[in-house]
Amino acid sequence: MIARGPVVWTPDPAAARNCRLAAFRAFAAARVGRPLDGDDLDTWARTEWRDFWTAFLAWADPLRDGADSPACNGDEIATARFFPGLRLNYAENVLREIPEAEDRPAVIAADETGARVELTRRELRRRVIATARGLRRLGLVPGDRVVAVANHDADTIVAALATTALGATWSSVAPDLGTEAVLARFAPLAPRLLFASRGTQQHGRVVDLEERVSALRAGLPSLEQVVRLGRGEPAPPAPGDEPDLPALADEGDWSWPRLPFDHPLFILFSSGTTGPPKGIVHGAGGTLLEHLKEHLLHEDLGPADRLLFQTTAGWMMWNWQLSALATGAAIVLREGSVSFPEPDSLWRFVYEERVSVFGTSPAFLRYTEEIGLVPRDRFVLERLRVIQSTGSALAEEQFEWVRDSVKPIPVHSISGGTDIVGCFVLGHPERSVRAGESPSLSLGLDVRALDPAGTRCAPGDAGELVCANPFPSLPVGLVNDPDGVRFRRAYFEGFPEVWTHGDHAVFFDDGGARILGRSDGILNVRGVRIGPAEITRIVDRFEGVRESMAIEQRAPREPGGSRLVLLVVMAENVALERPLVLKIKKTLRDEASPNHVPAVVHAVAALPVTRNGKRSERAARDAANGDIVANESALANPECLGAIREIAPERPG
Amino acid sequence: MTDANVRQVVIDWLDDNVHFGEAESLITDDEMSFLDHGILTSLGFVQLIVHLEDTFRIKLERKDLTRENFDSLAKIVKYVTAHPGYRATA
Repeated sequence: MIARGPVVWTPDPAAARNCRLAAFRAFAAARVGRPLDGDDLDTWARTEWRDFWTAFLAWADPLRDGADSPACNGDEIATARFFPGLRLNYAENVLREIPEAEDRPAVIAADETGARVELTRRELRRRVIATARGLRRLGLVPGDRVVAVANHDADTIVAALATTALGATWSSVAPDLGTEAVLARFAPLAPRLLFASRGTQQHGRVVDLEERVSALRAGLPSLEQVVRLGRGEPAPPAPGDEPDLPALADEGDWSWPRLPFDHPLFILFSSGTTGPPKGIVHGAGGTLLEHLKEHLLHEDLGPADRLLFQTTAGWMMWNWQLSALATGAAIVLREGSVSFPEPDSLWRFVYEERVSVFGTSPAFLRYTEEIGLVPRDRFVLERLRVIQSTGSALAEEQFEWVRDSVKPIPVHSISGGTDIVGCFVLGHPERSVRAGESPSLSLGLDVRALDPAGTRCAPGDAGELVCANPFPSLPVGLVNDPDGVRFRRAYFEGFPEVWTHGDHAVFFDDGGARILGRSDGILNVRGVRIGPAEITRIVDRFEGVRESMAIEQRAPREPGGSRLVLLVVMAENVALERPLVLKIKKTLRDEASPNHVPAVVHAVAALPVTRNGKRSERAARDAANGDIVANESALANPECLGAIREIAPERPG
Repeated sequence: MTDANVRQVVIDWLDDNVHFGEAESLITDDEMSFLDHGILTSLGFVQLIVHLEDTFRIKLERKDLTRENFDSLAKIVKYVTAHPGYRATA
């Protein structure tokens, strides 16, 4: 049984009565003909999930054609298909007319230098339509794949919405991802068009991306067109065959093509423990419906809100914040370093742009605390009403720090994943917040913790996070997996019939939830999810390195609470000298990303393997953390764990 | 411990964590601003500070973590070597 933290925030009863969740509760109760008070709504949404999703569709009322029923064909999670009779357009819904929001800012984007762009909802829609017409004139059609190496700025928002407006599929990465890693993601998609930012800001420096784009042109033979984002900076004008985004604009009438509910919208990338990153295809209807549910019901977003989520265009939270426009809220973007030009730059931006919902990470909150910054002493954060945190678990004391040093407002530690382009646990406007916990499971999802035998854990006991019913934002498939073999292997091998997510979690009987970390070998360093194979694939190429393994080790004083450790087995008579360590780190930074660089590189005689010959990252991780190695008896070489246990936490590499 | 030791600890940390063997060549002048020349970000500073505290067994005041004290190699050496805890263990 895991001990619970103290209650750190309690909602005002009047505000709770007026939230959108309360309005939906009344709507749903009228439909089903019985009260759905308190937790009854959660129970109904989970057990009668078809009725829940039908009711939510009717209440949220996205623009659509076709039949609202059936809600879902099939009961098997892997093959269930939601709303097969519906046709809709994601961008049309994200940009639908909302009278009170039309002439208010919809996108506010700024960079490190303070350069600022503001687009009203009306202007954003006009630009998206003009760009979509331009893309169509270039020959793009529904189903084509468009990729982007893009900054977190207004151009990228316009490009993504224009792409999805005409029914093409959008996939983006951040500019700091190395060329090899970008190609590993984009090449399997066979994209026809690349959007590429000209340069990117990194802590006061402008990094030119021209060389990167040239390498992508060479490595993506399917490309027919490159369109540049972020005009004029820093590279000289592009060759004549590469227009800037505004040059694509073709003003005129537009009719939003409404496509099937499962029409591919986004392709996101998730790193497994082995092999290259997998491309996860998400459908337009499932993404829209899940995001509407999370934004409207769980986070109570609406036209009065300004949401800033600290992200890049390469993370699913970017797609998540994009959908917030559908509620009429404005999205506030900031490209570049959070601490440039001043250590408090991001907090200042939150204040100056009157952000009401601020999404951040445990690492950023820890950084703020570490430098002794007390935001409430420096800024009057009058409009701020919620802080969301994700990427890794938010420690109990950080909830208290926010209350005492920022403002007494709810802190929603939300968690889900790229795989479901949404959340399993998140906020709840009617519930108190306990330190260390999320107040709610995602409505309509039967989220549980299972013990190793597949039995449901008692409330308060930790287990494997699974979802036991179908939900709309299930991927519609993986790239290059026509028969679904990789899809089933990725999510349905752990326990039969349920979605196994790869997280350890504990749930309480009042809806509270705590995510404890990954249950597999996936790394989560400073909130960035990394597949160990993305690292070892590069390291194993080095002469003198026989094999390697990347693991995550707890490190409470590091931003994010953990650090990356690389174990290497050297060839006979070869020592791991410092020049080689530095060369490995530099290569990982250049070919993968700065997030892939280990804090520690440690030579060991052998890596733990099971008697079946399978390498066990989990055993190595447990040993490096000084924990009991759960599967030690299954190892063929448990004697190798001793050397791994010697890697003292926090020792410099 | 000498000033040169502190300097080397900072260079080694930059090499191990940020510049991977190129720190010495990037820092052409010990007075050069780390922030203005992209040697280190503010987030990186936090990690460097933790390392200095661990290495020299000192506790740095968070209110002192300013550009005036830490924005160059020379400033860091000066601040750390003047720290009462450092002098006690040196």
